[in-house]
Amino acid sequence: MNPLLSGLEALIDPTVFVCLGLGLVLGMLVGAFPGITATMAVALASGFTLTLEPVQGLAVLLTIYVAANFGDRVPAILVNTPGTPASIATTLDGYPMAKQGRAGLALVISALGSAIGILASMILFAAAAIPIARLALEFGPSEMFALVLFGLTIMISISSRSIIKGVLSGVLGLALATIGRDPITGDQRFTFGINELSGGVDFIAVIIGVFGIAELFDQLLTHHAAKLRPISSLGRWWPTKSEYRQMGRPLAVGGTVGLIVGVIPAAGGDIAGLIGWDRAKRASKHPEEFGKGSIEGVTASDTASSATLGGSLTTTMALGIPGDSVMAVMIGSMIIWGIQPGPSLFTNRPDLVVSITAIMVIATLLSLAISLVRMRGMVKLLDVPVHYLWATILMFCIVGTYATTNNIFTVVVMLVAGIVGLIMKRTGFPAGPLVLGLLLGPLAESNLRRALLIEGPIGLVNHPISAVLIGLALLAIIAPIVGRLRQRRKTQATLPEKIDSLP
Amino acid sequence: MHARRRAKATPTVVPAAGVAGAPSAADVEPERAAPSSRRLEVITASVTLGASVAGFALAQAIELRTETGGVDPRFWPTVLSILGGALSIALLLIAIVRPPFDRSDLETSNRQGWMRLGASLISAVLFVALWQLTGYLVATPLFLAALLLIFGGRGWKTLVLFPVITTALTYLLFHSLLKVPL
Repeated sequence: MNPLLSGLEALIDPTVFVCLGLGLVLGMLVGAFPGITATMAVALASGFTLTLEPVQGLAVLLTIYVAANFGDRVPAILVNTPGTPASIATTLDGYPMAKQGRAGLALVISALGSAIGILASMILFAAAAIPIARLALEFGPSEMFALVLFGLTIMISISSRSIIKGVLSGVLGLALATIGRDPITGDQRFTFGINELSGGVDFIAVIIGVFGIAELFDQLLTHHAAKLRPISSLGRWWPTKSEYRQMGRPLAVGGTVGLIVGVIPAAGGDIAGLIGWDRAKRASKHPEEFGKGSIEGVTASDTASSATLGGSLTTTMALGIPGDSVMAVMIGSMIIWGIQPGPSLFTNRPDLVVSITAIMVIATLLSLAISLVRMRGMVKLLDVPVHYLWATILMFCIVGTYATTNNIFTVVVMLVAGIVGLIMKRTGFPAGPLVLGLLLGPLAESNLRRALLIEGPIGLVNHPISAVLIGLALLAIIAPIVGRLRQRRKTQATLPEKIDSLP
Repeated sequence: MHARRRAKATPTVVPAAGVAGAPSAADVEPERAAPSSRRLEVITASVTLGASVAGFALAQAIELRTETGGVDPRFWPTVLSILGGALSIALLLIAIVRPPFDRSDLETSNRQGWMRLGASLISAVLFVALWQLTGYLVATPLFLAALLLIFGGRGWKTLVLFPVITTALTYLLFHSLLKVPL
């Protein structure tokens, strides 16, 4: 059957709609609760979606991913606290608008910007994913190793304030991936006679541990009573004609920024939102209004952060390299279902690619509809006491992890990963590279060893694509270091002048 | 909103520090920010160095069924442990000679927080053990009630009704719908 038709036909199943509804509710809820990130929610949900069929499971996970991008704007606008990192830039103009009595307007503009951003990015996915996957199909072991290296270094350079700590985190992930059977010879490594380790460290348990449990533990450790209350007066909701016109330019600027940032492996909505806000400010006729409740500011930041979704999906599905941390978790679930994201997906399961695209579009439209109709109700969600949240999350993490293998050893792995994740968080080691290293480790090792056995070390650099990717990987590590050194020198150079100018 | 509800957002990715003109919303309020600590940096670097050395030793101890030359199952773990060791030494040197890393994106912990965390961990371990002994339907409501008590929940609705209903719903979801043997 035609892949397009069979991909769409898979969605006609009523259970898919139940899954879409579940994902929608969960996504909106996790987005609206500050402190629960989309990554954490998808990691948690992956525990209980593994027994579902791939399409049903993807319907839950992808809808959480999309809906969280709408729900997280509510606390960003009403309490100046981003629901997830992707809405950091929303606070810059969203909260000032709310303080001016225009919270309803900010919420509607934000929802429209997010929806347009995601839908535009899905056009990019539909247009670019197949050519990229076709190119990647030509990759041999050298290119595959170089691609994995590139993905890892990009994540390290973006996610870490200290490049050394980021690389160490990635190395730890790669090292954890060596536990179990050797990918080429099948020799046992680092199993210490424990049967459960012979198949490798359970990556879903590690993902739930470092993204879910570690975040929760950090909140338990640092939670303080706060005195701010959300804005209660929401004011007018729908924009006027002139306000719609004001949204045009920032939509274009934010959308472009989001599409570009989204394609970069590991770069997510938080970075895109801030860059989009900044670029829109530069392009605006009224830059002085930015940061003081500008409609343009809200539009640009939300369009940019949401437009990363399609780009992330493109990198993940076409290359097998996670576009952001949510996609890293998604890859883990897909591998368990026996689906390997990457170029072969487009030849082996083109129908699934169609289903994924359709789920993303449907999830966006449903989230937009819920956002416009039910925003008032969502405000009340912020009143749910935090002790219910914490207890439920911890219980779901444990039960969800157990559900992946029906083995209590996996729960122990998850709790240990949670403690390690907390230590890493408190000491400045990013969790993203660890998870990426764990997921891509077998791919990196087997391809490196094959490349070395076939052509020796020269094989890594005498293929143009692998040479370029290794060059880019080195650049991704070196460029931030050089940038920081320059910045430090600049600061040191201007310091005496500043001291001299003191009275 | 209830005063305690405003749990902090916990960005997993550091926002683009180089975005000119865009204030960083990730950093917490200065009075709540975790202080920089040289001692913490030195301990961290020493632990990673120790782990790298242990990793190197364990890599050399991998038993090989067949000899495949230099690129054998020991090769990749050895490369990683050497890389980890080199980076750890660099981290240690930086920790000693440079100012400690900025931790302003993290909130400071408090004594109450440590107690809450410790009690939750102990409850989780006890839950796992009790689950094996008594089964899911007995262990889970007790676990939830203990957690709610630790986190400050009070009253019969919170400590009895909520745990019982949540246990029943999760049992229905996992055991009956998803066919996970709990």
